[in-house]
Amino acid sequence: MQETELYDLSDDADYAASQQQQGSASMMRSDSSKRSSSSEPEGAEVVYTKDNVTIHPTQFASERISGRLKLIKQGSSLFMTWFPYKGQSSSARLSEKDMNLYTIRAVPFTEVRSIRRHTPALGWQYIIVVLSSGLAFPPLYFYNGGVREFLATIKQHVFLMRSAEDANVFLVNDLQNPLQRTLSSLELPRAVVAGLPSAPQSLVESPSQEHLKAVGEFHGESSSTFQYGGRQRQKGHDPTRDISIQVLEKFSLVTKFARETSQLFRETHSNGYGSFERKRNSQSAIDYTQKEADPAKKVPNQSFVPSDPLEKKPNIEHNHDEETSALVETFELIDCKEFDKLSLVWGKPRQPPLGSEEWATFLDSEGRVVDAKALRKRIFYGGVEHKLRREVWSFLLGYNTYESTDAEREYQRSVKKKEYEMIKHQWQSISPEQAKRFTKFRERKGLIEKDVVRTDRSLPFYDGDDNPHVNLLHDILLTYSFYNFDLGYCQGMSDLLSPILFVMEDESESFWCFVALMERLGPNFNRDQSGMHSQLFAISKLVELLDLPLHNYFKQNDCLNYFFCFRWILIQFKREFEYEMIMRLWEVLWTHYLSEHLHLYVCVAILKRHRSKIMGEQMDFDTLLKFINELSGHIDLDAILRDAEALCICAGENGAACIPPGTPPSLPVDNGSLYPQPDEVL
Amino acid sequence: MPSRRRTLLKVIILGDSGVGKTSLMNQYVNKKFSNQYKATIGADFLTKEVQFEDRLFTLQIWDTAGQERFQSLGVAFYRGADCCVLVYDVNSMKSFDNLNNWREEFLIQASPSDPENFPFVVLGNKIDVDGGNSRVVSEKKARAWCASKGNIPYFETSAKEGINVEEAFQCIAKNALKTGEEEEIYLPDTIDVGTSSQPRSTGCEC
Repeated sequence: MQETELYDLSDDADYAASQQQQGSASMMRSDSSKRSSSSEPEGAEVVYTKDNVTIHPTQFASERISGRLKLIKQGSSLFMTWFPYKGQSSSARLSEKDMNLYTIRAVPFTEVRSIRRHTPALGWQYIIVVLSSGLAFPPLYFYNGGVREFLATIKQHVFLMRSAEDANVFLVNDLQNPLQRTLSSLELPRAVVAGLPSAPQSLVESPSQEHLKAVGEFHGESSSTFQYGGRQRQKGHDPTRDISIQVLEKFSLVTKFARETSQLFRETHSNGYGSFERKRNSQSAIDYTQKEADPAKKVPNQSFVPSDPLEKKPNIEHNHDEETSALVETFELIDCKEFDKLSLVWGKPRQPPLGSEEWATFLDSEGRVVDAKALRKRIFYGGVEHKLRREVWSFLLGYNTYESTDAEREYQRSVKKKEYEMIKHQWQSISPEQAKRFTKFRERKGLIEKDVVRTDRSLPFYDGDDNPHVNLLHDILLTYSFYNFDLGYCQGMSDLLSPILFVMEDESESFWCFVALMERLGPNFNRDQSGMHSQLFAISKLVELLDLPLHNYFKQNDCLNYFFCFRWILIQFKREFEYEMIMRLWEVLWTHYLSEHLHLYVCVAILKRHRSKIMGEQMDFDTLLKFINELSGHIDLDAILRDAEALCICAGENGAACIPPGTPPSLPVDNGSLYPQPDEVL
Repeated sequence: MPSRRRTLLKVIILGDSGVGKTSLMNQYVNKKFSNQYKATIGADFLTKEVQFEDRLFTLQIWDTAGQERFQSLGVAFYRGADCCVLVYDVNSMKSFDNLNNWREEFLIQASPSDPENFPFVVLGNKIDVDGGNSRVVSEKKARAWCASKGNIPYFETSAKEGINVEEAFQCIAKNALKTGEEEEIYLPDTIDVGTSSQPRSTGCEC
């Protein structure tokens, strides 16, 4: 039976629209033959409608698909539908076909196994609907809220109960068929199977607690990692099995990976340590796993913290003589065989910054960068000399393309200068009388004036009364707030602009480089904090992947919102390093060489360095925030970059899967070259 | 006094960007003023030991970002607060007009158990600027607003000159202590902290 016959939707515009496109191709759910057909066409009633429920098929904000979510009651059955709005594709890359791929066409709740909700304190709420087949739909983001109402409506019509294991998982019809439940549980990977409920619980309870719950659980996420490739679902004739195996594989990969990385880190902690210390190190780490396996052998000292190779070692304190002999052997075996390979995985030693002569070798006779990737790699490992920054940053930021010639760039500079002057003139021409009636303008101007006079004023470049550079910061920021009126001005932007102006020393060039930077970091300043939230969320996932004990510690101590990393992320560690160091860090991050999201690995690296202090001193949220804030000025950049590199390489795809779609800094297009200019003038 | 005692008092400072929240906190805790404080990103706090009636308390003073856009972060920082300090700049009408927003936003996000009686203290800062000539919010106007919101204690301060800062924070601490006591012990109104004489202020009601 076809879904189309389930109820009459001919008066539904969305439905009709999607029907036109649909044809027989690209039906998302090829397993529809399994669908029950118990209902009659008449008597369908829409019991819930929510607009602007959106799917994020890729990480690019421009490729979100919004649609309408409905619950439809027919007879005793409840169905869920989600249709994308027609003709709303914001990107050419998303064809109608793509959009229809995600369409949810009348899924009966008898086929729904569970619904996981995510209600972050920041950003959008979303749900993940898992079918009893083991398939799950991509996360549905409720831009207008309404998850609670959605669940409450379902509860009125079908049996819904909260999972005993996870308060954010709601099991559907779980008691209807115990045998089937058991069977499907056996087939399903652990990540998808929710716990058996002990007793039904009220849906609407402890709202404040839910409200504060900032991040979801990794397990729920892992069930979504295989969702984004919706196309895969079409080919399997036995989707349950295929997907189960796929997820199981993924899961075992993670486990295997976790084992291997911890091993890697233990054994390769050779940089900066003699081999003797290295042995000790590996011992203490292995020692820990043994202790964990045997809870009875707990260390009396409550604040004992298992060591981690990335953390700061105050000195060599522990001496586990009893284990030494057995472990040394194991260690040496690994050491000899794996050393070369492992040293590759470990963060490479930092190189001296790129100098003029070497820079010249990257350019052809007309000034094009011949091998952008090699250049990015070079800068990733060493940065650039200060006098070259002015030239190189414009490439890294994407203001100039690597393919452009000297002549083209010079021409662009003059064109862009005119364009800048034009935008600047827009606010300069606002008369006092006009300003009186233009609150938004006055407010923004006021905020900018307040902030530029307290941005890096201790630097000679910005110090003193009536400093012209401070005035330039003001003009550029105010012009930007006209260039991007929707985003406007937000605190933190002056911190981001300051080094750019310092390097570019030209108003218009600084403006356009700042524009390019904000293309990536603009979401950090979104009103709904969605950009910040997705990054903090990603950090929590990465810590869970790369340092489970630390993750568990944060979880127990109510620190999973990672707000203590807020300043790091919002302004790219600007307040954490000396000026020269921040320029170095930024150019390394901007290469996007290993990952666009290296900054998130930098966060993890810093946290890992201090893990034993954090856990050993049993820091609570407040203490941790204070501790993190006070790390400012005390972070060894080179060491952290090496750690971050190693973490990024080791985490690999699993790390990438931790980072939700749309997490800044997302690039508009990724086609091999770094980032084509959307408004290329030549 | 009952024996169960709180030792940590949590105070949140709110107000528009640039009214002097960070400066007030630093003047009170470190007795220092700098022209070079940066805009606060996220949140931070300082602590100071205070003593009342032979009891030592740690005053934990939270400084937050002033831009409206970051208000949603408050949820993480406001909870468990014992007193909220609302700061405006006497030279900026908008910063005064916004006091109400800050107050309401705080009550929503911190959701204290007894919002009607949650202690606020209002500070009109920067009275030193231009010898008072650029002042646009009169003391009378400010006091009227404070009175209308349940007699909120009001102080006029200069973080730069250190005027009234100590007095204001003593009042803040006393009010915080009161909330804390009420939360943990059922016996309210038993704190007698004496009446301190405070220039240019109505003083504390406690």
